Amino acid sequence: MAERVSALSGHYQKGHFGKEGEAGVILSEVSGLVLHQLSVWPDTLDRAATKVAQACAVDKAPGPGRAAVGSHGVLLRIEPLKWWRYGGELLPALAAEEGTTLDLSHSRTHLRVRGRAAQACLNRLVSLDLRPNSCPLDSVMSTALHHVGITIWHSRDGFELFVPRGFALSLWEVLTDTAAQFGAEIV
Amino acid sequence: MTGRRLPDGGRIDRSRALGFSWDGKELTGYVGDTLASALMANGAQVLGRSFKYHRPRGIMSAGVEESGALVTVGAGDRRDPNVRATTQELYGGLVAQGQNAWPSVRFDLGSASNLLSRFFVAGFYYKTFMGLPPFEWGRGTGMWMRYEKLIRRAAGMGEASRAPDPDHYEHAHAYCDVLVVGSGPAGLAAARTAAQAGLDVLLVEQDSLLGGSSLSTAVPDEDLTPNIQALKAHGVRIMTRTTAFGLYDNAVVGLLERVTDHLSNPPAYLPRQRFWTLRSRYIVLATGAIERHIAFGNNDRPGVMTAAAGRIYLNRFGILAGEKIIVATNNDSAYELTVELAGAGAAVTLLDARSSVPGTLTAALEQRGVEFRTGVAPLKARGGKGVHALTLAEAYGSGWREAGTENCDLVLVSGGWSPVVNLLSHRGVKPKWNAENACFLPDDTTEPVTVAGSAAGVWRTEDCVVSGEVAGLRAARALDRAAADPSVPEPGGWLAPIRPLYEVRVPNRKLKSFVDLQHDVSTDDIRLAHREGYVSVEHLKRYTTLGMANDGGKMGNVIGLALMAEALGKDIPEVGTTTFRPPYTPISIGALSGRSVGAHFRPLRRTSLHDWNLQHGARMMEVGLYQRPWYYAQGDETLADAYVREAATTRTTVGLCDVTSLGKIAVQGPGATEFLNRVYTNPFAKLLIGKVRYGIMLRDDGLVMDDGTTWRLSETDYFMTTTTAHAAKVMVWLEELLQTRWSDLKVHVTSVSEQWTGISVAGPKSRAVLEANVKNPSEVSNDAFPFMGVIETILGGDIPCRIARISFSGELAYEVYVPSDFGPPAMDRLWASAEAMDGCLYGLEALAAMRIEKGHVTGAELDGRVTLEDAGLGRMGSSKKVFIGDALRRRPELMRDDRPQLVGIFPRDRSLTFNAGSILCAESQVSGHGDGWITAVTHSPELGHWIGIGFIAGGQSAWEGKRVMSADPVREANVEVEIVSPHMVDPEGERLHG
Repeated sequence: MAERVSALSGHYQKGHFGKEGEAGVILSEVSGLVLHQLSVWPDTLDRAATKVAQACAVDKAPGPGRAAVGSHGVLLRIEPLKWWRYGGELLPALAAEEGTTLDLSHSRTHLRVRGRAAQACLNRLVSLDLRPNSCPLDSVMSTALHHVGITIWHSRDGFELFVPRGFALSLWEVLTDTAAQFGAEIV
Repeated sequence: MTGRRLPDGGRIDRSRALGFSWDGKELTGYVGDTLASALMANGAQVLGRSFKYHRPRGIMSAGVEESGALVTVGAGDRRDPNVRATTQELYGGLVAQGQNAWPSVRFDLGSASNLLSRFFVAGFYYKTFMGLPPFEWGRGTGMWMRYEKLIRRAAGMGEASRAPDPDHYEHAHAYCDVLVVGSGPAGLAAARTAAQAGLDVLLVEQDSLLGGSSLSTAVPDEDLTPNIQALKAHGVRIMTRTTAFGLYDNAVVGLLERVTDHLSNPPAYLPRQRFWTLRSRYIVLATGAIERHIAFGNNDRPGVMTAAAGRIYLNRFGILAGEKIIVATNNDSAYELTVELAGAGAAVTLLDARSSVPGTLTAALEQRGVEFRTGVAPLKARGGKGVHALTLAEAYGSGWREAGTENCDLVLVSGGWSPVVNLLSHRGVKPKWNAENACFLPDDTTEPVTVAGSAAGVWRTEDCVVSGEVAGLRAARALDRAAADPSVPEPGGWLAPIRPLYEVRVPNRKLKSFVDLQHDVSTDDIRLAHREGYVSVEHLKRYTTLGMANDGGKMGNVIGLALMAEALGKDIPEVGTTTFRPPYTPISIGALSGRSVGAHFRPLRRTSLHDWNLQHGARMMEVGLYQRPWYYAQGDETLADAYVREAATTRTTVGLCDVTSLGKIAVQGPGATEFLNRVYTNPFAKLLIGKVRYGIMLRDDGLVMDDGTTWRLSETDYFMTTTTAHAAKVMVWLEELLQTRWSDLKVHVTSVSEQWTGISVAGPKSRAVLEANVKNPSEVSNDAFPFMGVIETILGGDIPCRIARISFSGELAYEVYVPSDFGPPAMDRLWASAEAMDGCLYGLEALAAMRIEKGHVTGAELDGRVTLEDAGLGRMGSSKKVFIGDALRRRPELMRDDRPQLVGIFPRDRSLTFNAGSILCAESQVSGHGDGWITAVTHSPELGHWIGIGFIAGGQSAWEGKRVMSADPVREANVEVEIVSPHMVDPEGERLHG
């Protein structure tokens, strides 16, 4: 099978840049994104949520603004009637009257920002309150980064940014430029 | 003024000398100096020239209120004009120069204008040069247009570099529970108190050091440090060199952080300045107060400063600003300074305008041998580029009379204090006049903001600390923390009341007394404005330019108001105050722009084939946020050569085009069919699975919004394409319909524009290209895959794809969509086949040529003014269903037969060309708005001459046999044209079915 070509292909250079010393920000692209949208209807929300949770092996489908990590993928509640299923293989079997599924694996580029200055770096670009009390682990939010709508999930590995593929390189450049002041490492 | 550095004292690091340059002269200062303090220590007096009269100006203050020592810092593309020397930190290698002067601020030929100052009064240019009598009586302002340039050249302050700014800037966002603005005694106390209550506190300070007014006292650093350490221990976040420049709705605050303005060699990775948007829950304004001067003769001379500035230069920078000093005051605050100056070795005279003061104030003066006089005020400073004497005035009745002259080299003035209420004023809170303290105080507000310390009119340091603590407790209570509710210190705190004093003048004595020093607004200007009928403070400000310089009226506004009140015979509160607006201090344009400059002025949107296209010779053009291939030049081909070749090749063999930028929307759910049927003008209820339909959607008002195709993938799944330009608009429109009108429909719409990469394969050999690439070639045979069919299949390399047999070019054509990460490998395969069949890659120019030949509409035609019928698509308006826009499209005005309708256009002389944007007129009436317009033209490779499409009243049938002119008056290119059918090539569409 043909290999997937990242939006950053040819422009992704690993290494340390900016301020010397320990990197305050570690940036990476998480390749091979598998992302599906699971949408349900107001009257099927509870029933469908159970199926959605089972498919990802989580106790309960997360509420708005939250994520739940399961052994068969991660559920991100991105809208009142929509989840994203990150990773995993089998999709829940939703009848049309229960909901819809949609493959978005190529629509986003998955960037990861971590390190002790990750929050500070992101808040140079993102207007949301990312302080730990306001943005605990498994928070999910939609926001704008350099005028472009993106989705952020605060995972155990850092801040996971799902950015529209077409804007990925432009945002990556802005992100790396910004991270330089903290000492940045692209891995 | 003969400033000299004292052998010890100050908060400078004398072990670290810094070299810098002033007007080409190499000088030395110390770490901790400002440019002003370093210049003062080096004996510099004249640092600038005034705006209008080019009068010599020196250091007048030690802070943001400075309006004399405005200089240009940096050189070349880093030249910054109008920098306040009093706030510019000194760094090694700093280059500064005077401005608004030639050849130098010391000797400025422009100062000749001072001799004509009696003519250059407020508004002189309006009166003198507009409708200049007698030449322009009743004839407008033609001469003004010439004089304005000369006047503007003569005026102005400094000159910015015209080169691109080499520095970079950034925006940032922050949150906190409590923001404390200002780190003086009140600010530190407020921050500590709020932090002790468990709140997340951010303390911002515009200075490089914390301490505020404490820094200007003789309090040793050791006494300040524990306070700061306590803050850090409580987790208070501290930002120095950061100005809170504006307060906005919901406790949002604008901050400007000067990141590298104090560094000799800032690292490239640091922005020069950072523009913060801070969202807080509660704000404590401990912004302090600014000392006012008094208007008296030549009060702008170098050597006249605020008393507070004299104290700052002494205690913070270890500089004695003069040897023989006269301190003139009307309040208590100058007494401590006077004693300190005398203690530092100066001969000091203290003049107090008040008739008497308590002995507790004067006791220390006597001990230090300070000459002290009451009931005396400054009348006129003597000297040209400095002060050598001061003429005095003594109280006489309700006014003043001249009372001799005393030699001096420095005059320090304290005319009272103005609390910095600017930020609260940004919220529309009008300050209230406090006559007892002769100042405006912040009024109450219902917003989560409180004012503490001298910003609230509390003068004594110990009271300021209490005031700060109370503010911290208020913040805690407002944010639901248990906290005490102690009483607030009352404004004031002086031992003797201030004597309000704004101007000193004596009868029959002409003086040049300034109110707004930077803009050369004098007391006479205020009185002139009054004589000319100005009553409103806002009008006064605009007429005289009072408070409009970059100090924003920090020093002069109150004096101006007082003089206006006096002229009007009113009290100050009756005259009102001007409204302070952001920014509190100037902000560079770069900081406002942040990272949105250059290549990142706006984000670039790239298709997955962006690099592939470039590697294959594409010349790109901007289309919205995208860059798309314009044409693919071979060898020395011009644009015209290339697109003609590309269009011709596509029509004879095959061409490939990146069409990824088209909008793509997934429409899913049991209600999807009904939804589409309501949105589109044409029927969708019976569209079969595996079929595509071209659709038009109207706005509510019946005009065409967008067009595109919709593919039925399953019973409940559709794939909609839109134009590139309207992709987002259509998406938003569909969401709005579902959320506000048809929430009962079970439909989800999702943009999948980024998910899919689109490749148009067009031309007689397009099927052959597909056959060479799909896993099962029989899938794409003419029978299996007819026109307007759609299949989901697999390309070589196991690339999943969906293909629709649709055509924009009018040829046998397909649109192939693959998941975007497979765009490049899919294109590699398709191109290998097409290239082997003598095919080509084609860009937007060739695409446009082919669509014009076919009369296919785009955004150029669907410009928001067009009905279905206008676009020649009337048959697509179903009469058997209701759809969006159906009712209003039947308005009589939209159904008139003589509305402009889509037509094709040929030049009557086929060898001629004509221009898009031209007006179509009857040949005999080439005038006015004409009868139509041309939206697009191209050279048709197929027809061999130029063609166009556009709109003309009544359409083709109305103009048969008539002579029509393509009128292009701007480019003087009128061409006679012929109105034809818009379907200029293959009108029957036979090629589509090939």
